[in-house]
Amino acid sequence: MLLYIWQYLYSNYFRFWLKWFLRQIDGKCELQRICDGSKDGARRTHKIEYSLEHSKSKVLRCAVDIDEKEVDLYVANIVQEKKINVEKDKRFQINLRICLLQISGYKKLFLEVESVRKQPYDSDNPQHEQQLLELWDLLMPHEKLKSRITKQWGDIGFQGDDPKTDFRGMGFLGLANLLYFSRNYTEESRLLLSHSNHPKLGYSYAIVGINLTEMAYSLLKSGALKSHFYNMVPGFPEIKCFHQFFCYLLYEFDKFWLKEEPESIMHFNQYREKFHDQIKHLLSDPDVILTL
Amino acid sequence: MGLLSILRKLKSAPDQEVRILLLGLDNAGKTTLLKQLASEDISHITPTQGFNIKSVQSQGFKLNVWDIGGQRKIRPYWRNYFENTDVLIYVIDSADRKRFEETGQELAELLDEEKLSGVPVLIFANKQDLLTAAPASEIAEGLNLHTIRDRVWQIQSCSALTGEGVQDGMNWVCKNVNAKKK
Repeated sequence: MLLYIWQYLYSNYFRFWLKWFLRQIDGKCELQRICDGSKDGARRTHKIEYSLEHSKSKVLRCAVDIDEKEVDLYVANIVQEKKINVEKDKRFQINLRICLLQISGYKKLFLEVESVRKQPYDSDNPQHEQQLLELWDLLMPHEKLKSRITKQWGDIGFQGDDPKTDFRGMGFLGLANLLYFSRNYTEESRLLLSHSNHPKLGYSYAIVGINLTEMAYSLLKSGALKSHFYNMVPGFPEIKCFHQFFCYLLYEFDKFWLKEEPESIMHFNQYREKFHDQIKHLLSDPDVILTL
Repeated sequence: MGLLSILRKLKSAPDQEVRILLLGLDNAGKTTLLKQLASEDISHITPTQGFNIKSVQSQGFKLNVWDIGGQRKIRPYWRNYFENTDVLIYVIDSADRKRFEETGQELAELLDEEKLSGVPVLIFANKQDLLTAAPASEIAEGLNLHTIRDRVWQIQSCSALTGEGVQDGMNWVCKNVNAKKK
């Protein structure tokens, strides 16, 4: 309760006066002090994001959700609004620009990922079909599909004889992730597929991949991936950064699963939760970067 | 009986726990149904590896619903979950006519299981929101449901997506929880 009152007073009154007081001393605004006092990446960008979101100025509050091409305009507006002397602090504009790109970029990345997810897998779309077949060819270079509808799909871990019903709530995003992994880490994806066919510790490769797409998606949605992206990309992250994170998850999950030696696939969700907790713990470190 | 003792009785009467098994082929809609029952978001569902379990309070019952993956590869594990089942809910994708035979066969095998003998069975003719869905009556006929004599049974058309018909089915479940034929 006391903590709550303190937080209320701090964010509504004390913070303002503290900032005013500090400005009188060193002639810098809070954004400048953050840029000076923290190293680039998540530590700095998180603080800038907080400062902007809680600003009394509309220009600053709006600067956390803008298009890539508006960034320079917003940097100039903030400099003007906060009466910052850029001659005295030359690094400031460059640093602020990166922060703004990262903050808005994360939001735009989510929208982009969301739009791919919302696109259902459509077997009447030749592009979708072609990519599904490409996934097969990359994973099974020595075996041809006998027909489009075939039990062979089970060999790469789909449930039945037509994968189209397995993408479900993840839509085309599920396939895009699996395909990105196979295209860019072909050897690794074949290795994982061979692990997934282990007689005792086996799992359904494609289904688990779609399930982990859901994990990556919900981590992105909740904001849990912010530190990771702020540390990794000094600008607007592209969708391939999300695919990259998926590759990390899938690769690490395979390692985790083999190490844990579960009794059977029926215990999947229990181990998935344990793995999920480990990932969330890693992501809570402000210096985190998770890559393959 | 005084007011106090009535209150005490109300407080001490715990909900009867009911074990419900949710089975059906892959892509029948079991997990969507489970999430619909628990009033959870149904837009991010992925195929079930293993099983999901949720507890739902309904009409003085605590329904422990076990949703087991329907993939052919893991159907052999279904039998690990038969013990102490009070009600079996079998879910059918009413629009997937190509697999009516397969789903009928799986259901027939379940009804032959000793550990499930006499257990009331509710069949959800799911996905009625799709234009191509077969009506419940057609499915009942195709599966020869009228030949079931060793237990109470019901077929209910529903859409786990919109929620339509789901509550009607669950009302039947609650009424027949104790109808297991010994």
